[in-house]
Amino acid sequence: MKERTLLVIVLLTVALLAAGFWVAQNVNLMPAEASTRAALVDQLFRAMLGLAAVIFLLVEGLLLYSVLRFRRPRGDEGDAVPVHGNRELEIVWTLIPALIVVVIGFYSFRVLAASEMREADPIVVNVDSRQFSWSFEYPAEGVTSTDLHLPLGRQARFLITSTDVIHSFWVPEFRVKRDATPGQIAELLVTPSRLGTYPVRCAELCGVGHASMGLTSQVFVESEADFQAWLEAQAAFPSDPIAAGRALFGRNGCSACHALADAGAIGIIGPGLDALADPASAHASMHGADLRTYVEQSIVDPSAVVVEGFSDGLMPKDFGTRIPANELAILVDYLIAHK
Amino acid sequence: MTATASTTTAPAWRRYFGWSTDHKVIGVQYLVTSFFFFLVGGAMAGMIRTQLLAPDSTLVSAEAYNRLTTNHGSVMLFLWILPVLAGLGNYLIPLQIGARDMAFPRLNALSFWLLVPSGLLMLASFFVGAAEAGWTAYVPLSVAGPDGQTLWAISVVLLGTSSMMGSINFVTTIFTMRTAGMTFWRMPLFTWSMLATSILVLTATPVLTAGLVLIAMDRLVGTLFFSVPAGGDPILWQNLFWFYSHPAVYIMVLPAMGAVSEIFPVFSRKPVFGYKMIAFSSLAISLLGLTVWAHHMFTSGMDPRLRVPYMISTMIIAVPTGVKIFSWLATIWGGKLRLDTPMLFALGFISMFLIGGITGVFLAAIPIDLHVHDTYFVVAHLHFVLFGGSVSGAYAALYYWYPKITGRRLDERLGKVHFAANFIGTNLAYLPMFLAGLLGMPRRVVNYDPRFTELNQLASLGAFLLAASVLPFLYNVIVSWVSGPKAGDNPWRAKTLEWKTSSPPPAYNFDTPPVVTEGPYDYGEAAQGSLAPSPSAAGD
Repeated sequence: MKERTLLVIVLLTVALLAAGFWVAQNVNLMPAEASTRAALVDQLFRAMLGLAAVIFLLVEGLLLYSVLRFRRPRGDEGDAVPVHGNRELEIVWTLIPALIVVVIGFYSFRVLAASEMREADPIVVNVDSRQFSWSFEYPAEGVTSTDLHLPLGRQARFLITSTDVIHSFWVPEFRVKRDATPGQIAELLVTPSRLGTYPVRCAELCGVGHASMGLTSQVFVESEADFQAWLEAQAAFPSDPIAAGRALFGRNGCSACHALADAGAIGIIGPGLDALADPASAHASMHGADLRTYVEQSIVDPSAVVVEGFSDGLMPKDFGTRIPANELAILVDYLIAHK
Repeated sequence: MTATASTTTAPAWRRYFGWSTDHKVIGVQYLVTSFFFFLVGGAMAGMIRTQLLAPDSTLVSAEAYNRLTTNHGSVMLFLWILPVLAGLGNYLIPLQIGARDMAFPRLNALSFWLLVPSGLLMLASFFVGAAEAGWTAYVPLSVAGPDGQTLWAISVVLLGTSSMMGSINFVTTIFTMRTAGMTFWRMPLFTWSMLATSILVLTATPVLTAGLVLIAMDRLVGTLFFSVPAGGDPILWQNLFWFYSHPAVYIMVLPAMGAVSEIFPVFSRKPVFGYKMIAFSSLAISLLGLTVWAHHMFTSGMDPRLRVPYMISTMIIAVPTGVKIFSWLATIWGGKLRLDTPMLFALGFISMFLIGGITGVFLAAIPIDLHVHDTYFVVAHLHFVLFGGSVSGAYAALYYWYPKITGRRLDERLGKVHFAANFIGTNLAYLPMFLAGLLGMPRRVVNYDPRFTELNQLASLGAFLLAASVLPFLYNVIVSWVSGPKAGDNPWRAKTLEWKTSSPPPAYNFDTPPVVTEGPYDYGEAAQGSLAPSPSAAGD
């Protein structure tokens, strides 16, 4: 009898461990692995998932077995055989989880250290966030963009900050996020390992545009050659005024909140900017005869006139100082060209 | 009106609508009031889940959505889970330790009557623009929000004060008012858990209160505690907030653990397994719970050297939690199980809290947290802990002690319907959220990437089932109170002290002060008589 019990316990333990091993090998709940860090994190995650499966099956199994096996016989009002405790058992189920925790803790620490290793010749990107857009500045190359472009296999060194509230820069395919906190510059190291286009999310509630801030910017992981070509195209300011205006519209984050068909923008936080001069537009009653003054004022001093149905105070008030006068003129020309 | 007048002359039902110092009346006032707020918070959840049925739904505006999520969280935590557990503590602690009432009956009444205006204040904030910075109220966002944000801060300060008053009462009552023979090692485990909880409340709540006062002052009188240009530090708020709000999770789950620790022995007809270890583990969770708060801040810029200690302390909490779970399993092992509704909810508690606990270890592992922090993975985890755990435990407790409180029995069939809908609904609502979070869906978003549509629709379906599951419970509780069959004094044949007086108990609980001569879970001892306990029993 005693030997049979032991055999059952051994067999069940082997079955549980096998199930855990199978889960660790075969269950993938993560999106694509697009950074060297992602591969490390996923290894840790799968190992923990396997352990979790063992514990989950053990506890739920014991629970279900007890419920099926130890039912009160009908009419039996008596008590069961009293057992108050068992010191050996209690020591076992304190020590084994403690051991598992130590192993996971150690493994996590190893992964953390490995994923924060510095590599030579990183590309530095200043990540500036504001309600409700991202701005990626390549200081060495003098390029700024609302989308992020990264060369494959070269470590990116992000220096992340915010001009207003806390945001959080997250690329799920990179398996890492870092809060953008005003007054701080946070460093984050990522080495892209897979070509492709991935979303940039905002993970920290930052106000009414929080959701759209996680749906508008993307990261393009490209070959070194493609990346250099993109940098050159960005650095050369377009000579065509419409193309220049479109670039400024994107670069300054307008697309995060406003819809404009020509720029492919679909923001809904602020009023749409198509057909500004159309008498049917919500803007028509606001600008009177002078559309140019109205548009310029709305950029520099957004509280002066607020379109019906939209809230005051959401649009940053510092575009007047951030956008140089010549660029502001190009942007206004571009916007009123779409009447 | 004095307490004695109200308890002896007024018709029974009227006592519940006014100032009473009877801990049983106050307990019921807490339970009913908190359940009202549960329905309010649930209605908000219903609107949130309806909005999320489609990725680009415009049913709710982004502004209204942020107000809904902020207040859903705040109402559920501060006005439902905390007070429903405080209500159980109020009703049960004096009865379980053989006391006439609480140590400070008037303070007890005051702590309840502080809850009502604070709750109404939070709801009224919708008229002036409700708080919209999340229940976490991170600065600088929360300093900039509408006027309701100030009302929210004041309301939470008052609720914290109410909670502290209650805890002072619980601790004092447990230390000074135990009846003859009620040693600490004969105290029922629910009372033990309330002691551990109260220590945590008293240590952690003042820190949150201080932080909220700083926010309120920044908003009202123009101080600059959190203003970055003036040298303020947004991370300071996160430290103050989580120093309370992580222990708050244990404040919300320890009493539920205490409740199911009462239910398993009664419905297994066996002594609780490892009584002392369960009691100790409550204290261990309570003390360790004070050392883990910064695991919420792995992404927000703390000294990198501090991260690993916080990871380790967080993971270690899994050990006392595991001790409890294995002790409960050993309690039902070899028992004579009755699967009445309280037992079903208690079993459901283990089954679902387990998922919350295991995923908590994933969140503690820093490299994984850096991916899933602030995503739907966290939303799923916290709902498995607080809904699968705390709320299941609260339901188990309400079904278990309902006959004690009312003297009547609930309908078992309706109870089982409620359990089934609640169990399926919880898993359906929250399991898909784990996957959504892992795949890249942030929390607190009014619109989302269409790739998450199916997962969100499943979650919404589960949420609607949860909403429907409340109906049989409400019907059952109301109808049974009026016309349910009489329960008798001890329908579950339990051995803890609260069942040794009449149901409902008389004004001062026991006609003569009881004398305790045995432990609270000595099942099988008298009946088995000559039968020796199994040889493996250590017998503490």
